[in-house]
Amino acid sequence: MKQITIFLINILSVVVASSQDFVKNAATAKQSYNAGKLEDAHFALQQMLVELDITIGKEVLKLLPAQMETMKVNTVDDNVTANIGFVGATVRRSYGATDKRAEINIISNSPMVGTLNALFNSPLMNFANNGDTKMVKVQGYKARVTKESSSDKPGYKVEIPFNSALVTITANNCTETQALAMANTLPYAEIAKLIQ
Amino acid sequence: MTALMLAGALLLQFQLPAQGFLKKLKETADKALEKKVNEKVGIEDKSKEQEHQNKSGSERTGKATNKSGAGLKSTTPPDVAEQISDANKAYTAKNYNDARYSVQQALLGVELQIGKEILKSLPATVSGLPSDSTNDRVVSTNWGWANLTIARTYNKADKELNISIGNNQLYSGLTALYFNSSYSMQTDGQKENIKQIRVKGNKAIIQYDASDGYSVIVPLGQSGVIAWTGVNFATEDEMMAAVNAFDIDKVKSLLGEK
Repeated sequence: MKQITIFLINILSVVVASSQDFVKNAATAKQSYNAGKLEDAHFALQQMLVELDITIGKEVLKLLPAQMETMKVNTVDDNVTANIGFVGATVRRSYGATDKRAEINIISNSPMVGTLNALFNSPLMNFANNGDTKMVKVQGYKARVTKESSSDKPGYKVEIPFNSALVTITANNCTETQALAMANTLPYAEIAKLIQ
Repeated sequence: MTALMLAGALLLQFQLPAQGFLKKLKETADKALEKKVNEKVGIEDKSKEQEHQNKSGSERTGKATNKSGAGLKSTTPPDVAEQISDANKAYTAKNYNDARYSVQQALLGVELQIGKEILKSLPATVSGLPSDSTNDRVVSTNWGWANLTIARTYNKADKELNISIGNNQLYSGLTALYFNSSYSMQTDGQKENIKQIRVKGNKAIIQYDASDGYSVIVPLGQSGVIAWTGVNFATEDEMMAAVNAFDIDKVKSLLGEK
């Protein structure tokens, strides 16, 4: 209980620090801009963008389920990163242990993902289909399911592309039906509102 | 008999192209005469008229070619102060998506202004080549990894100098890689076509390509880069004189690079 309380306080302090930073950077950006220091304003604005991406990432984490099938969330693995790079912001959450594990990865605001999504929708991708990949719909969104047979217990990967964002759910030691059922537990419409 | 038929067939075969050739020659002569007469009388060339009609009329084949249109209306860059206020408001209301949009707009506004300031700081004439202000460009991509590119062209007759300035981490990173690579030098053993130099104390690369001319790249600070391309410059010295006409330190300070 004590550990959970400390963990929650830590999370809260990060969020509070982040929101304070956003307001502080907004003030710096405005001040620098008014003083004609364009490069300083530019830097402060970039920082605002990073902080926003982290805040958005944390909001997305709140929307993710606490459990996938029987697997419990590993809160210590929860991770949000943001950078002014072309990978964009990422959100990561995992469930279960090594022998049965699921992971959610969300990349948002990434031009690289935009290119990837264009490839997803390309007819060329269907030519490359080796039977381990198929297109399905999850809550009305187009998705791609891929069978991953790298280990003895096959797993599945479900990828749901949005404009410049990509949601990936990977699960090992499960059937396709189970993987899709797991993918179905995410509230995509709400996530899309935040990341699109 | 067979030989006679063969000879007849050969003659016929010879005659056919010969006749065709004579017919073509006659047509060409007729056309040339008609053209001369029309020129004297003042009638427009019929073939040109026909061509024009084909392009614009219903007989046109293939894809339509755009021949008119005023382009896009230029919009004023985003109001930076207003966008920052909007971002703050949206953030407080936990409307993060709108906050992100406003911050991006503010970034765009600031970048366009930085770009314009840099363009203003560039010389109007370089090595006798006047700047072609219609080709001045400031491009901001909003993505962060290649936010800003500023470009200007100087030209006179067939001689042209292009300058591109950017705070493009991707490209400048690649240039930095080049400087740190032991395989940087490319030479055919006789004549170097790429080498490292210094431009006003900054490390740089100069390259020569028979079809593209000279190009010089100077990485600036952490993420900036300036690139020049010179078409129809006679020598490396001539190219370097043009490059040295630019105030690199000024550009550096405007980009916020150290």
